[in-house]
Amino acid sequence: MANKTLSRQQNFWLAPVAVTLVVALLSFFIEEYFAYVATSWLIFGLLGLSLSLMWGRAGLLSLGQTAFYGLGGYAGSIAAINFSHLTGNTLIWALPAGAAAGFVSAALIGGIIFYGRMGPLQATILTYVFTLLLWSVAVSFTTEIGTAVIGGDNGLANIPSLKLAFSKDAADLQVKEIFLVVLFISLAVYLALRYFVSSPFGIIIDCIRLDSVKTEFLGYDVRFRLLAFFSVSGSVAGIAGALFSLWANYLNPSVFSVQEALLVPVYVLVGGLGSLTGAFLGSFAVGGLSFWLGGGVAGGQTTLIIGICLIVTVLFFKKGLHGGAGVLLSYFKKKKESINRTAKVTDLAFGEKSLDFLTGHFLDVSPLTLATSAVTKTFGGVRPVNRVSESFLPGKVRCLIGPNGAGKSTFLRCLVGSHKIDSGKITLGEKNISRMESYARVQSGVGIKMQVSQVFSEKTVLENLWVAAYSKTGNMKAALSTAKGMLAALKMEQRRHVLAGNLSHGEKQWLDIGMVLCLRPAVILLDEPAAGMTDEEAKSLSSLMRFLAKQLTVIIVDHNMDFVRSLDADVIVLHQGEIFARGDMQQLAKNEKVLDIYLGRRKNVRNI
Amino acid sequence: MSSVAILLIATLGLAVIFGLMGVINLAHGEFITFGAYAALLASGWGLPFPLAVGFATVSMALYGVLVERLIIRHLYNRIFDTLLATWGLSLVMYQAVVLTFGSVTPGIGMSPANLSVGDYSVSWYILFLILVAVFLILLTGLILTRTNYGMMARAAIQDSTMASAVGIESGRINTMTFALGSGLAGFAGAILLPAFPATPSMGFAFSIKAFLLVVVGGPVTLTGIVSSGGALGTIASVVANTWTTVLGDIVFLMATMLLLRIFPKGISENWRIKL
Amino acid sequence: MKKIIFSLLLSFTVFVALFAATSKAGEIKIGAIFDLTGGLNIYGIQQSRALNLAVAAINKSGGVLGKELKVVEQDSQSELSKYTLYANTLILRDRIVALFAGLTSSSREAIRPIIRKNKIPYFYSSLYEGGACDKYTFVTGASASQQLSVLIEWGIREYGPNIYIMAPDYNFGTISGQWVKRYADKYGGKVVGEDYLPLTVTDYSSTIQKIQSAKPDFVVALPVGANQTGFLEQFAAAGLKDRIGIVSTNYGSGNQQVVVSPAAGDGIIASQEYFMWVKERKNPAFKRQWKAKYGLKEPIVSEAADVWNAVHLWAAAVEKAGTTDEKEVIAALESGLSFEGPNGMVLMQPGSHHLKQNIYIVRGNKKHTFDVVKTYKSVAPAYEDEVCDLIAAPNTAKHFTP
Repeated sequence: MANKTLSRQQNFWLAPVAVTLVVALLSFFIEEYFAYVATSWLIFGLLGLSLSLMWGRAGLLSLGQTAFYGLGGYAGSIAAINFSHLTGNTLIWALPAGAAAGFVSAALIGGIIFYGRMGPLQATILTYVFTLLLWSVAVSFTTEIGTAVIGGDNGLANIPSLKLAFSKDAADLQVKEIFLVVLFISLAVYLALRYFVSSPFGIIIDCIRLDSVKTEFLGYDVRFRLLAFFSVSGSVAGIAGALFSLWANYLNPSVFSVQEALLVPVYVLVGGLGSLTGAFLGSFAVGGLSFWLGGGVAGGQTTLIIGICLIVTVLFFKKGLHGGAGVLLSYFKKKKESINRTAKVTDLAFGEKSLDFLTGHFLDVSPLTLATSAVTKTFGGVRPVNRVSESFLPGKVRCLIGPNGAGKSTFLRCLVGSHKIDSGKITLGEKNISRMESYARVQSGVGIKMQVSQVFSEKTVLENLWVAAYSKTGNMKAALSTAKGMLAALKMEQRRHVLAGNLSHGEKQWLDIGMVLCLRPAVILLDEPAAGMTDEEAKSLSSLMRFLAKQLTVIIVDHNMDFVRSLDADVIVLHQGEIFARGDMQQLAKNEKVLDIYLGRRKNVRNI
Repeated sequence: MSSVAILLIATLGLAVIFGLMGVINLAHGEFITFGAYAALLASGWGLPFPLAVGFATVSMALYGVLVERLIIRHLYNRIFDTLLATWGLSLVMYQAVVLTFGSVTPGIGMSPANLSVGDYSVSWYILFLILVAVFLILLTGLILTRTNYGMMARAAIQDSTMASAVGIESGRINTMTFALGSGLAGFAGAILLPAFPATPSMGFAFSIKAFLLVVVGGPVTLTGIVSSGGALGTIASVVANTWTTVLGDIVFLMATMLLLRIFPKGISENWRIKL
Repeated sequence: MKKIIFSLLLSFTVFVALFAATSKAGEIKIGAIFDLTGGLNIYGIQQSRALNLAVAAINKSGGVLGKELKVVEQDSQSELSKYTLYANTLILRDRIVALFAGLTSSSREAIRPIIRKNKIPYFYSSLYEGGACDKYTFVTGASASQQLSVLIEWGIREYGPNIYIMAPDYNFGTISGQWVKRYADKYGGKVVGEDYLPLTVTDYSSTIQKIQSAKPDFVVALPVGANQTGFLEQFAAAGLKDRIGIVSTNYGSGNQQVVVSPAAGDGIIASQEYFMWVKERKNPAFKRQWKAKYGLKEPIVSEAADVWNAVHLWAAAVEKAGTTDEKEVIAALESGLSFEGPNGMVLMQPGSHHLKQNIYIVRGNKKHTFDVVKTYKSVAPAYEDEVCDLIAAPNTAKHFTP
């Protein structure tokens, strides 16, 4: 796959490996103590990496990373203390135990956060509370697990050092050897994570950060994916904790302290949020600064200077050291111009050829009926949807119209599951989908396009389409060919590598529609799709919808009467949450009652 | 009762800043510490205690203006950056206190007057703090509902585009809000000084619980923290009285997690009252 | 990609340049790690001052083995992981021959595996819960049993048999609590209630309520950290001080008597191995030197005297051994070495590596200082002597708990 669709750079491992080898080589020339100190920075870098993953990629600032790190450390050292005499080697016990402890504890907290659909600040605070809770418990918690003695604040002592050899009398590694081992473990974790974030899973996580609602409307179970991602991040923290305990030979509840918890985001921020390398840069910078100051420079005003540096970094280096280095480098090489920004779309989307593509695209999609019976939704004292019963079948476009506040959009949201209905039933074909989460409804064949176009602004046009297609196919290649076909049908081939955020308003609308079509839905719901379109575009959209309605169930909410008329649709008029009238536009135009509610005349509506 | 009152006094400043600006001030604890030292300084000049409290409040409000202009202003809508910048600030302020006052400074102490009921006796000052808390909450409520500033501030947070459309200058309002919040923190440090001797790290202990209250309380400033503070504080102190204080703390944290699970955006998310 | 390589290499070069080691011959290097900044600097700064004062005094009188002592000092910033970091740095980079470091028990426990591995004598100078037993570790502060054995006996005689314990909820507090119970039994007292508090508690109304319903004759209060001194204020303000006595093993060790108001501090009983106001032969000279160098704005705390004694004991051991070789120095330290410090004669117990030293009982007054009530001469670290014998079992590396 030569193109950049999946932003997977084939050679992404080259530079990190080269850097690691250079550093490994350099380590033979540095003082022993420095190798020792640098080892701790690497470990903190790993810890930072675990947060960088979560914060930079999934958008959650977790203050619980030190909790996973500490738990990983405890689990890892307990395993090492009890079992390493069997093998000599300590790593094979400590690392898996640490990773497992981090994974499980993160899964636990993540479950509460993501399945509770918590706000970002609340989620941050929850992780913070978790860390505090562990600290409160750990300082006075004493127990013995096998030969490991956990002594409350006095900590867990007698943790064996790093040993690689598999023999009973394996010697402790030397300081520089420890550095090298940790260096290569860091490299391995880093590369694994780089691979992970550029995998389809990682791309979907990116999409969740950019627009989690849209990602769910594409049929992805956002909660589960975030949970899995968080657990992976927790296990990285756990690995860092296990390494730390082998490095320090000692562990104490201070790993759960507030100061430690807040230090991790500092590493990430100083290094540059969003870049995985940044975590290591940050930990080297902050660790180096505080080590240097701790030696008595600047009259021992360590905290004062670190505090000031922090404020300055936040205020002036928005992208941290990593970003700063980028600025520096740009003096050396000419900045690449962004391409294609001026290219204009002249052709209208969906001509004859495009429709051919769609025919093939929807060939094996069997028609489904979406039906509601007595669906009701209440907010406080208001009832925007009141006992609506209706069946939507393919054949003709179905339109929902009604004055403002009639409950059209709320009804639509009930159909896709953003609102949970209070009573009634929604069925899709034979399936009862009333209680399903949005993503499950999408997977069952519902596609939705909301009024404001939802595209992933930091992804290219092709990537946007690919993400949608991948949800249906689960196969990278098949998704790519679907996406390319859709790109051609949209007549946006020239714009394929443009970031969706840079598209014009109308283009975004078309891209959004294209993404919905990539899902191959049997039922399509659109909320005011023609809003902001030119007449030409609206006409093209109308013919597309009529074409689709032959095979699919198409439901459109709109109050642009010209557009509705052009759809030649079966229209339902909603008023005060109830179905008020049915028919095509000609019939409705003669219906006095309908005119009344649109014009606000009172005569015929008083009794409702 | 008294523990809830103390908690609320210490939290109010943070809540005002969070509720009206959407900013979490991690240096809140150090603002309280500064307030306590300001009061200590003033009473060292021979000012009577009530005046010293006034001095602490006013000087902290001015300090708040300074901090807002120099730091917070540049970080609007970057909540996590603000979090880190204010944490840096807290480190600086902590060290500044140590440098100026040393690590130990003589305190003032409470009047030994106390109320005896049977075998038990309670300090009047602690009881007085309950009154202070009630008064403070009412006063803040009045400022927010009855003054021009308060109405504009509440308008600005509820709908910022609308507010700027009707000519509310959000920059000035935010400066005033931050000054009000840090003034309240200064007041808290000063009024609590007799019961909690001033040390450089005194604010830290208050600040952790204060953050939790504010976040659990949710977007509605006053009633939000009063109910979260009331609920969490009462549960914790009942447990602490019946069993141990440690358990009280643990229950406090567990209850926080539980409340966040039930009300993911804070308990006041869907309230009609917006005060 | 280039960006990454560039920035990584840049930072690496900078660090290598910054941390190039320097060493000089003809001097003996000792290491010090104390919390000069952060929450524990109340103690750390004074410990560091005492160390430098002691080294200056020793150098003035000719150094050790005719060589000058040089201190390499690191600030652990009240952060535990820094102890591990700096202990190794001092050993690997500066090749120190002795280490003086730490305040909390956890800092000592963090350092112990490192000094064991590298075989370097280590001096821990702070009062603590007791029980540390390690060939390379020497404790010059008082242990909880050492202080409480005399304090509880005195308290029961002075106030009555019923005791309430208010202590921080971690090892220091809970182990001290066990000692209080043990000595209460021994001297005919009874523990009528106990409350172990988290370090972050600020409001003590529930503790005070519980004390009132338990009706003790005196409270053993062991407030740790800034917040817990608030307990003393609130206790006094509730009017309990007239009825119930307060005794403590750590009140004053961080100059709490300065922080609490005169009304609350008046009459509080404390017991420790040193107070600035004790009348010992060498104390005035010690205070004079301190004042000349640092002033006396803040009273000198017991940890400072502990460090002073530790440095002098080590220097005496090196002189006696005639070398800084760790085996010989430890042997010398285990030979019944003694030193007359500002708190009288202290004697290193060969088996337990703890000091036999005076314990003073003092009473707080209205001037933020203490009056000495009673001096118990040469109190042995009984528990440590009992469980820990490093002559008979030199490989012990344990933290004993009762």
